[in-house]
Amino acid sequence: MWFKTKPPPLGDFEQLVLLGVLRLNEDAYGAAIRQEIHARSSRDVSINAVYTTLDRLETKGLLHSWIGEPTAQRGGRRRKFYALRPAGVAAMRQAYHAIRAMADGLEERLGVK
Amino acid sequence: MTPSPPSLAARLLARRLSPEWRDYVLGDLEEEFHARAARSPVAARRWYWRQAVRCLAAPPRPLAPSIDLPKRDFFMRTFVADLRYAARVLLRTPSFALAVIGVLALGIGANTAIFSIVNAVLLRPLPFESPDRLVRLFHVPPQDTFPGMPTFAVSPANFYDWQRDARLFEGMAIYQFRPFVLTDGSGGREVVGGALGAGFFEIVGTPPALGRAFLPQEDGPGRNRVVMLSDGFWNRQFGGAPDVIGRTLRLDGEAFEVVGVMPPGFSFDAWGPTSCDLWVPLAYTDEQRAVRENHNAQVIARLRPGVAAAQAIAEMDRISTRLERQYPEANAGWGATVIPLRELIVRDVRLSLVVLLGAVALVLLIACANVGNLLFARALTRRKEIAIRTALGAGRARVFQQLLVESLLLAGAGGALGVLLAHLSLAAGAATLAGQLPRADEVAIDGRVLLFTLVASVLTGLLAGALPALRAGRADLNDALKEGGRQDSAVGVRTRRLLIVGEVALSVVLLMSAGVMLRSLVALRHSDPGFHPRNVLTMRVSLPEARYDTPAKSLAFFDAALARVRALPGVQFAGGIDDLPVLGGSQQPIVLEGRAELLPRDQPTVAVRKVTRGYFQTMQIPILRGRDVADTDAEAMLVSESAAKLLWGDGDPIGRRVTLPLQSRTVFKEVVGIVGDVKQGDLSDPAAPSVYELSRAHAGGSLTLVMRTLVPPMSLATPAADVVRAIDQEQPVEDIRTMDAVLDRTVRAQRFSAWLLGLFSAAALTLASVGIYSVLSYIVRGRSREIGIRTALGARTADVVRLVVVEGMTPALIGIAVGALASLATGKLLQTLVFGVSAWDPLTLGAAAVGLTLVALVATLVPAYRASRFDPLIVLRGN
Repeated sequence: MWFKTKPPPLGDFEQLVLLGVLRLNEDAYGAAIRQEIHARSSRDVSINAVYTTLDRLETKGLLHSWIGEPTAQRGGRRRKFYALRPAGVAAMRQAYHAIRAMADGLEERLGVK
Repeated sequence: MTPSPPSLAARLLARRLSPEWRDYVLGDLEEEFHARAARSPVAARRWYWRQAVRCLAAPPRPLAPSIDLPKRDFFMRTFVADLRYAARVLLRTPSFALAVIGVLALGIGANTAIFSIVNAVLLRPLPFESPDRLVRLFHVPPQDTFPGMPTFAVSPANFYDWQRDARLFEGMAIYQFRPFVLTDGSGGREVVGGALGAGFFEIVGTPPALGRAFLPQEDGPGRNRVVMLSDGFWNRQFGGAPDVIGRTLRLDGEAFEVVGVMPPGFSFDAWGPTSCDLWVPLAYTDEQRAVRENHNAQVIARLRPGVAAAQAIAEMDRISTRLERQYPEANAGWGATVIPLRELIVRDVRLSLVVLLGAVALVLLIACANVGNLLFARALTRRKEIAIRTALGAGRARVFQQLLVESLLLAGAGGALGVLLAHLSLAAGAATLAGQLPRADEVAIDGRVLLFTLVASVLTGLLAGALPALRAGRADLNDALKEGGRQDSAVGVRTRRLLIVGEVALSVVLLMSAGVMLRSLVALRHSDPGFHPRNVLTMRVSLPEARYDTPAKSLAFFDAALARVRALPGVQFAGGIDDLPVLGGSQQPIVLEGRAELLPRDQPTVAVRKVTRGYFQTMQIPILRGRDVADTDAEAMLVSESAAKLLWGDGDPIGRRVTLPLQSRTVFKEVVGIVGDVKQGDLSDPAAPSVYELSRAHAGGSLTLVMRTLVPPMSLATPAADVVRAIDQEQPVEDIRTMDAVLDRTVRAQRFSAWLLGLFSAAALTLASVGIYSVLSYIVRGRSREIGIRTALGARTADVVRLVVVEGMTPALIGIAVGALASLATGKLLQTLVFGVSAWDPLTLGAAAVGLTLVALVATLVPAYRASRFDPLIVLRGN
């Protein structure tokens, strides 16, 4: 359309996946993202959940993807890499501001300070 | 041995996963499995199974086809959808679609056709190497003795001095045109050849397609029996034979060896040398090279890279000043100038073409207004559909886009059809166009024309569609959705009145321009040329000097020819002249007996023609005093009235003697009579002072026979040509045409403009009247209830008619007033194009205004009559 739309709100898991992709820079593919989330948030998520979310985020126009070379380590299979579009960064920034704003002043009660 | 993932789990997963995900998921799992297996193979296997089960339960969904479409393609996607929808909607109302497409196709087609012409004539570069550096050099004659002649042909001796001294030119070449009698098996015919000085083809920069160009040593007498052919002539005469090089061609009875053939792209009509069938070396003798007083040659030159025309003119000025000092008796008062070749070819038509392009653009604007009107009416009948879309969440921008796409689709279809129309009309008009315009043979629809049409179509679509689409998006939702709610009331009446004002105003401008051009054409064609062109047949006979090498031989030929022509039944009088009136010819200095010859800048000049006895009688040029020349005269001469005044003032010229120094300073010619003035050049120029000498003492030469006939002149064309050919079988007779046709030809450019402008204004008038009619019908329908009530309350038919006529005529009259003002503004553009009538001619403007008023009145009367027939009962019950 001819006018700008606000970035879509993100679900909890979508945020984890987006941050995972952002964190891994050029090296964000399914297994790496899964391990990154596992290592940092202790959530042992399934690979299918990661891919389903990546797919949804790409459809929303927040991510784009490309296909890598096959490697022996993966039994000759290829990797699918992801990276954030500007809209993905904007959506993540909005989610971050939202959680910061909502949590502002509640640190003590949440026991995070 | 390295452990591998549990094969059963992997197989199950491979079956369950959709192909586009299979590789990535299995690959990821295997990769992580190996990493984990390095620590604990058992835990890795357990981990793998756990992932597999979760994946089997809910695998990632197959990729949607749109997954790779980025967000910005949204417009394109909706655009395509809109396009499909628009096509479906338009197909449902084919008559509406056809009407709109037809109007637009006419408008865009006319624009495409005119632009094709403008493109070929004004925009496309000449088909030479670096054509912008090609210029022509001219003399500038002394203005006192050659009034109204800005440039003049070049004398050979001056040219060779220019060539030697000028530094800013890469090269220059001199050329002339020579008629040849070509003899082959089938008798003789005339061909005009270019006689080219050394270096001509190098300067133009086009190499021959076959064979070679002339060698420098061939530009001299004795070595010049070589000829180059145009592609067209090569095909006609030799059937395109590749072995033509080395074959011979008989020109004026002598054998010329073919040395080269030029490529087809070298031939075009706009410039003399490229319109020739063949070329020979100029091959001046030393004597001819030394001629300085006689200006009869043309010059082409190529500027050095980076040299501006102004610099070249300054250099030529310096050289001319020096030559004036060096040879005052020949050059006093003679300057020189430089004109780009392209400028020379197009300058006469540039303004006419710009005017035509403007006029045809106005027609398209009027068509836009009409189509806008139609689209507007249609958008209003679709208010309900639009309201539903809006209610379902379509924004105004979305509705606007959709309606605009519809009008763009219509304009696109109109444009495509328009290109076809333009192609057909250009093909049909090619014969008419040829000879009307320079480079007419190059008119074609090329990439630039198509781009123009595309842009014109898109602009048309936007222009016609934007206003209705905007207004439609503003429709009141509530009102539109109500069943029967104001369905037939008039909406946007003000916008539509404005469209009428615009249409009518543009039509006035067009009608005014066409009217002025038409009146100018009539004035030009009916201006008195000084003779009576009706029932005069003309034909030109050029005797080759090679066969008619003595004055006696050519004299005998022309005497015999005239005697036989005069004897033809239906021929009243006959005579001959070297150059017909209105076609130009020789201009020479003239010296009265007993007076010293002055320097060229002070010596008066006159048009000099050679005539035979009977010429004045045939053309009905009055002999005011004295007598016609007689066959027995030795050196007799007649002078025109204005020449008599110029040379002798109030004195009596009869019996006085003069010399024409360019021919001879010793042969005196005696004035035997005074004749009426005749226009020798353009019909729009005043008659030039002229003298007519008896044509008897010249070898070879060309004479145009003129016959006044008692029967339709063209019916004598064949018999007259036959009796002349009977004298000499090999002698061609050329340019057989009536004097009226000669005059017509001189006004062809004006005729072309006037004809097209007339066509455009007729189209404008039709479109405007249809526009007024449709808008008014719509308004009347919208006010039917009001009119019904008025009728019920006792309004008479006349009252209702008056109501509607006032409604329709008000915007029309405002439009006429606006158009009249606009015409006054555009008059400046037309001013230089018209003759004998002012570009602001009040009579024409008045006629245009009255004409449009009448048309508008007729267009309003039909809806008015219909309104007066409304049955109040039916109308009121309808609500």
